[in-house]
Amino acid sequence: MNSNRPWMRTRCLIAFLLTVCAIGPACAAAFDCARTYTLALHEHGLLYSADTDSGIDKDVADELIRRSGCKVTVSLLPRARIWQLIESGALDFSLSGISNAERERYASFAWYFSNKYYLLVRKDALAQNLAAFEGNDRLQLGTIRSFRYSESANRLVDRLQAANRLNQSSGLAPLYKTLMLNHIQGMIIEPFDFPALEAKAIGDSTSIVEFNDPPVPHGLIMSKKSLAPAEQAQWRALIDGMRRDGSMRRIFDKYFKPELAASMLDFQPPP
Amino acid sequence: MIPEHPPKAGANLLLLLPWLILVAMLGLTWVVWDFERTSTRKELRSEFDFALRETVNRIEQRVASYEQMLRGVQGLLTTTDLTNRKAIHDYVDTLQLDANFSGIQIVGIAQRVAEQDRAAHVATMRRLGISDYTIHPESRNDMYVLIIQREPFAGLNVAPIGFDIWPDPIRRLALEKARDTGLAAITSKVHLAIDTEAEAPSSFLMYLPVYAPGQPHNTVAQRRSNLIGWIYAGFHMKDFMASLYGKQWPGLELSIFDDVNPTASALVYRAGADSPQRPPGSAAPLTATEYMVVAGHTWTLSLSTQSEFESRFGRSAAAVIAVAGAGLSVSLALLVWFMITGRARALRLAAGMTEELRHMAQHDSLTKLPNRALFSDRLNRELARARRNGDHCALMFLDLDDFKIINDSFGHAVGDDLLREVAQRLQLAVRAADTVARMGGDEFVVLMPELKESHAALGLAEKIRAALHNPFVVDGHTLSISCSLGVAVFPDNGVDEISLTKSADDAMYRAKEGGGDRVRIGHLEA
Repeated sequence: MNSNRPWMRTRCLIAFLLTVCAIGPACAAAFDCARTYTLALHEHGLLYSADTDSGIDKDVADELIRRSGCKVTVSLLPRARIWQLIESGALDFSLSGISNAERERYASFAWYFSNKYYLLVRKDALAQNLAAFEGNDRLQLGTIRSFRYSESANRLVDRLQAANRLNQSSGLAPLYKTLMLNHIQGMIIEPFDFPALEAKAIGDSTSIVEFNDPPVPHGLIMSKKSLAPAEQAQWRALIDGMRRDGSMRRIFDKYFKPELAASMLDFQPPP
Repeated sequence: MIPEHPPKAGANLLLLLPWLILVAMLGLTWVVWDFERTSTRKELRSEFDFALRETVNRIEQRVASYEQMLRGVQGLLTTTDLTNRKAIHDYVDTLQLDANFSGIQIVGIAQRVAEQDRAAHVATMRRLGISDYTIHPESRNDMYVLIIQREPFAGLNVAPIGFDIWPDPIRRLALEKARDTGLAAITSKVHLAIDTEAEAPSSFLMYLPVYAPGQPHNTVAQRRSNLIGWIYAGFHMKDFMASLYGKQWPGLELSIFDDVNPTASALVYRAGADSPQRPPGSAAPLTATEYMVVAGHTWTLSLSTQSEFESRFGRSAAAVIAVAGAGLSVSLALLVWFMITGRARALRLAAGMTEELRHMAQHDSLTKLPNRALFSDRLNRELARARRNGDHCALMFLDLDDFKIINDSFGHAVGDDLLREVAQRLQLAVRAADTVARMGGDEFVVLMPELKESHAALGLAEKIRAALHNPFVVDGHTLSISCSLGVAVFPDNGVDEISLTKSADDAMYRAKEGGGDRVRIGHLEA
């Protein structure tokens, strides 16, 4: 969908020479805005909330637009639709994406944080660990369509889907509701979803089981079909610049405790 | 005769081979059947997942297309006033809300009116030509959200305008969401104001906010203060679903529930529930639940397969594999069993035939007595044994007297029968260790081994002669015969086969010459 709000509206900011120079020597040359670009957000916890019109992804998008000086049309779409459009080349960018072999075919990434995944499980499901959850045929898992997670979380999702034990959603909010209704007994969450657990009903009736996987890198998603390698490189340089000069840290500090923000941003980007 | 060997371990293992093959083949059949069954289930699951994804996509796209249509009206209102009824009427008219947008029952405008502006608003609406315009319900509130225009203005949509929708909590929730986010918002299940009947179809409304032209609406606060009204569209769920692009998947039952709790009261749409019952014993249906967030509102989609879907997209090769595999397994095991036991049977047959040939080579075909060759063999063995032990044995030649007369009088058939009877009677008369043989014609020989005394042979010869005296009944004829016997005793009358044979033969001829029916002993060896 298109927004008529300024940040979501088509916007065109002329790159300001001093700002560009402030990014660093690598960006001393003017950013090449070949055309109007498209970027899509999706509603997901602290990444973006349409109700508050705020979130990490929105802040990162705003900063990218500001630094590039390019005209970027921002829209709000379901995550599954975003991946389809990235693959087809109809959409240039999205944010906070993770990679897998299939996505590598059509998308390029500029990494800027990593995080772990957790299984949020109802206490009355009596599943103290992942094996107990998987082993109980009565327990249903809720996930967001098209979402992929860490290795063992993906394995759990795939097995439960084959066993008809997966309920999918195009948003996070219905999953919390169905978890409270006991229609599902578990869902996979990330640090962006922790604020929801502060709601008393959810916090009191659930517990968290950690997947024993390393943190998974997240980054700017770039469509290989619509962006040439040189274009991808200059957008990746913008992200790297934001990490270097502390802009990214300042964005994450708005939403997380400093220790968590630091741990999410302190990672070795994949080659 | 082929010697009988005890069954070997290898032969026993060979007999297990058909069973091993049967088990192996049935195991292989099970593996292939299980693989096919699993593949079929995966394929069916994949088709089902695709159908679910397609259904969700079709609904999302249709909602998006209706939203785009409303955004057209929203765009119009950035250039004209909310109360420009003609411009809005003309615009909606050009949209041609025909079959292509058949899900839409109504496109309308709702205006926000503060309590202090109530009277002025009514006056304005009456000045615009709606002379009987009133606000209803009558109750006084701080704020009203009033329906001021419905398009197309025909049919049910001619219901009175001026209806205040703000007090309705369901509508209010969506109105607030659209106002605060600036995005489209859908209501829960509602009863449209234009539906006057009690059993109205399941419906929902979609709202888009309209902000005052030229005023900022970057923040929630700005949006709230600068909102002037909403554009909305009303939908009957069944018409909305009928307007989806693409074809409904066959053999699937689709239910849509309002929000996340799939109760009967929350049901807004159901299709495919009238399909035939599942055949008894069929596999459990595939089911899936998906929570769709469309324009800020959640619908729960529940999809389940019916037998038509499974027969259309599933394969029935598993049953064919099971039956064919089991059949082939049994056939192959039987074939191997026949091959293995057939060889054993052939060996037994060959052994039997060999034994028969051996018997035929050593026995007289008429009387079944040992023939000359076998008799000679036994005689030599016995002579060797007697020689080794210093023992006695005797050879007896026997010739039937006047046998030619019987042949001539009663025919050769009777003669042959008589010879068979004589042979039997001879065998009964001699000792178990003695050998009776037929030399040819009516001549017989008897080997009497292990004689303690030489005259014991004469006693036995007399016994035989007496035995043949009893008449024979052959083919209804009573025949009386006699015989002449010549006896030669080893070593008295001969020391080897030749001398012993000659001595017995001479003795027999002497018996013949003496008138027959008597026994003669051979001459002593010089």
